[in-house]
Amino acid sequence: MGRTISAAIDDILTGLRMRRVWIALASEDIGDQHRRTALGPLWLLLNYLIYVGTFVLIFGLNSTEHNFPAYVSIGMLVWLFLQEVVILGVTLFNREESFLQGTTLPLSVYVLRLTMQSLIRTGYAALGCLAILLITGTMPTTIWLWSLLGIVQIILTIPAAIIVCAVAGAFFPDLQFIVSNLMRVGMFLTPIFWVHAGNDIRGKLYHWNPFTHFIETVRLPITEGQVPVHSFVICLFIAAALWVAAIFLLGKFRKQIVFVL
Amino acid sequence: MISIRAEHLGLTYRLRQKLTLAPRDNRVPTGGHIDGGRRARFVTALDDVNFSLEAGDRLGLVGTNGAGKTTLLKVLYGIYEPTKGHAVIEGRVDALFNINLGFRREATGRRNIMLRGLINGWSQAEIEKRMDEIIEFSELGDFIDIPFKAYSQGMAARLAFSVATSLEPEILLMDEWIGAGDPNFQDKAKKRMNELAEKAGIIVLASHNHALLKRTCNKILELEKGRVKAFQPAEEWFGRKAEKEVS
Repeated sequence: MGRTISAAIDDILTGLRMRRVWIALASEDIGDQHRRTALGPLWLLLNYLIYVGTFVLIFGLNSTEHNFPAYVSIGMLVWLFLQEVVILGVTLFNREESFLQGTTLPLSVYVLRLTMQSLIRTGYAALGCLAILLITGTMPTTIWLWSLLGIVQIILTIPAAIIVCAVAGAFFPDLQFIVSNLMRVGMFLTPIFWVHAGNDIRGKLYHWNPFTHFIETVRLPITEGQVPVHSFVICLFIAAALWVAAIFLLGKFRKQIVFVL
Repeated sequence: MISIRAEHLGLTYRLRQKLTLAPRDNRVPTGGHIDGGRRARFVTALDDVNFSLEAGDRLGLVGTNGAGKTTLLKVLYGIYEPTKGHAVIEGRVDALFNINLGFRREATGRRNIMLRGLINGWSQAEIEKRMDEIIEFSELGDFIDIPFKAYSQGMAARLAFSVATSLEPEILLMDEWIGAGDPNFQDKAKKRMNELAEKAGIIVLASHNHALLKRTCNKILELEKGRVKAFQPAEEWFGRKAEKEVS
């Protein structure tokens, strides 16, 4: 057990030290996706604005939320980020087979690269989100710092989630389809464009859906000016559980991944 | 002191039956030998492999397809972890496997050199210092600034070889790279390999090209179904082979 843990920690620390590698590869990924397009990564911003705009237009009229555009734009920003890393995380090692078979990079390099890549993509969408907030008259206050803390907490949780997804996905290839289906449904089961009131099915989903709490740590300080202590604590527990699982899986299966691809 | 020591090296892995309802993929790897019943099957890719190499040695790995040559190289490089025994390696290792492994198709040759350098742990300054020399040695000229995917096999091999040998690895592992590249470049490559060996490095070269091995190597390790069939000086091995062919 001790060796499993130290192997995993070693992998992660070496990966962190190689930050120039994963930053370079991540920016390479973004470039590849938009090569030969006129707008380049600005498409990411445009996609986000069209998506959020549609939801605001269709659901905004009957909503009880006083600033529905702000509510949707923050919720969607966090959700799209989480959805992306989970879906891409499951197929991570399969997609990187050529590097896994040809280099001795620690696995955490691939994990950090995906984290970085998704962060860059979300960064473009975040510009759109910020613009929507300012246009709808939501002005920055000091309480926004709590949202920042929420974002930091999410970023620190993500690598663990990717490790768990990626190891599971390498051993059970069917998982990629299960997960992408679940995440598609998940968008409707998460309070992104609906507001919960009372103890109906939405109320239950609101409390028991872990994604809710990650969204609320970022959203509540901005839209309601509240500090969601409850959600912060839940997210902290989820993060701790994910890291324990990630370190165990990484240590135990690190050297077997290459054989199952 | 640069050296490689393999002690009772063994590698067995399980052929995983994936949890799936789709029709089973019954292909098995061509290598090693396969044991076990229907439920759990194990491939023994390497079995009790022992040898040791010292500075200046150039080892040729021979054996039929699936004898374990590539697997052994990958164990020495650290991609595979042996399940039995261990390999003690002293020295900075670089490897040249299938030329498409570890290159980005969309990136230019220049960018690929850069990424490769970062992956190998070179500093920015080291990469810049080597860049011109690598490009010159690869003879890619203006092609260095077009995407890797547009390269011919030979061009890709030149780039891979130039990058892998430019930082003077102390131990160089190579797998069948020589098939590509024109005679002119092969000569250059051979010269560089000799330089490397003269600087008291170690080269391990897996190949079916016996003429090449005869010219380059001083020792031969013959593998058969993952086991060592022969480990001896190259002259002896080729001599014995010639005798067999005569008789």
